[in-house]
Amino acid sequence: MQRRFRFLLAAIPFGALSVAVPFVNRVEPRILGLPFLLAWIAFWVIVTPIFMWWVGRIEGHW
Amino acid sequence: MNATIALGIIAVIVIGTVIFALVSVRWISMSPQDYIVGGRGFGTVFLWVLLAGEIYTSFTFLGAAGWTYTFGAPAFYIMAYGTCGYIFYYFLFPWIWRLGKEHNLLTLPDLIQTRYNSRLLTTLVSIIAVVALIPYVTLQLSALQIFLTVAGHGAIDPVVGAVAAFVLIIAFVFVTGLRGTAWASILKDTLVIGALIFVGIAIPLQFFGSPAALFDQVLRAHPERLVLGALSAPKGSLWYVSTVLLTGLGFFSGPQSIAAIFSAKDENVLRRNAMFLPIYQLVMLLIFFAGFSALLIVPGLKGPAADQSFLAVITRYYPPWVLGFVAGAGALCALVPSTALLLSTASVVSKNIGSDLFGIGREDEGRLRLTRLMVVVMGLLALGLWLAYRTTLVDLLLLTYNGISQFMPAYAFGCYWKRTTTAGVTAGIVVGIVLACTLAAQGIAPFGINAGFVGLVANVIVLVGVSLLLPARTPAPEPAPL
Repeated sequence: MQRRFRFLLAAIPFGALSVAVPFVNRVEPRILGLPFLLAWIAFWVIVTPIFMWWVGRIEGHW
Repeated sequence: MNATIALGIIAVIVIGTVIFALVSVRWISMSPQDYIVGGRGFGTVFLWVLLAGEIYTSFTFLGAAGWTYTFGAPAFYIMAYGTCGYIFYYFLFPWIWRLGKEHNLLTLPDLIQTRYNSRLLTTLVSIIAVVALIPYVTLQLSALQIFLTVAGHGAIDPVVGAVAAFVLIIAFVFVTGLRGTAWASILKDTLVIGALIFVGIAIPLQFFGSPAALFDQVLRAHPERLVLGALSAPKGSLWYVSTVLLTGLGFFSGPQSIAAIFSAKDENVLRRNAMFLPIYQLVMLLIFFAGFSALLIVPGLKGPAADQSFLAVITRYYPPWVLGFVAGAGALCALVPSTALLLSTASVVSKNIGSDLFGIGREDEGRLRLTRLMVVVMGLLALGLWLAYRTTLVDLLLLTYNGISQFMPAYAFGCYWKRTTTAGVTAGIVVGIVLACTLAAQGIAPFGINAGFVGLVANVIVLVGVSLLLPARTPAPEPAPL
């Protein structure tokens, strides 16, 4: 169960940065002046370490 | 006068870095083990620096800005794919590293040989790895040539610049080695961050007032550049998804990346790097700002010339010492990664083809000599490709990924699927490479999908199909210990 869960956790940012992108392919709403598409990618890059920290936590590395 | 100042600053930065690297490694004697995998003792911080040095190359610095300039949103893939790569390889690092440690491996084909025990497959992988990396070396060479010719203010012919770049790269590799590279990276990254803050923050602020105002203006002048094109358009949404998947899944599959994985001290060093390194991708935002700024300030650069984007802004509006500083940081971006690229591919040729296949240079000294010879040969091939085929920096990197991404199934299935067979992996790689190269050479992109990704999908299907149809009589030599 936990084994599956860590893959799912990792798949969230991975999917958000790849297959989800055609669905957020727009300029509005602008976030901090950035077009939405760019802001979306930047957001998921920033939160990826949190997901990976959690994965490492489940695997017992830290 | 301007050219002398700019080129002089580049020379000072490059020579200073070499001296810094030499002083740092002076007390360590160089065995091939040190030369290729840094003695297998890199801790979290040192490996971070090495990886950042290898991954953030002049491709990031010039190529991404050039693509932002020419295409706009399709360049955003560059920020996404690295992050996807770290997420994916987090789950493969420990397996690759453990095999490397247990069997004292040095190169990518060593890893393939250990897992699949087939000379045919290992030789095939060696050849593909070396050929696929030539465009990557060409990329660094081409970028270095751009820095030199732009800093020369038209006094240097591009071909002379490219030859000078070749000489500089070879000299840098011979003098520093992989451990020297890691030290040189520290200096390089400090300078590059300074240069990035200038081109990605100072320029937009000075010309537009704020990043938001910059995007307002881009939106007014080129509204279509801030989003991807239609689903199956060239460089449209499907192109984006397939390119992120191809390059993300292949992010650590090249010989230089496998050597970097082997150089880690333990598995957690790799896990921690996979967790933290995505943060580094945020610097791409600054590059996008720089590319869009250049588009508005100096419009009209076409094709490969667009790779000069923000350098053209600096040449026109800033004093020559600013150009010298930025181009010097850029030159390190080309030189430092070239070392790891050339050493890892040269060692594949000298070890996996030269000594394993033909028995040349079995002792350390002979192999070192062969490795050095191959560094020069690879450099010459890269120079030849540059002369024959002028294209943008991003296109050169995508060419490399068409090849090296095809190794990914060999690691991923080799690690997680016990029924993977040698025949399956071999057939998969052959089909993947042939398909990717044929489609790319003909310029065919079905539904806008990246040709390399089509090859990768075919590769996986063939691997699974052949492995199921022709199960191995003996179990795999190394069952996945995860």
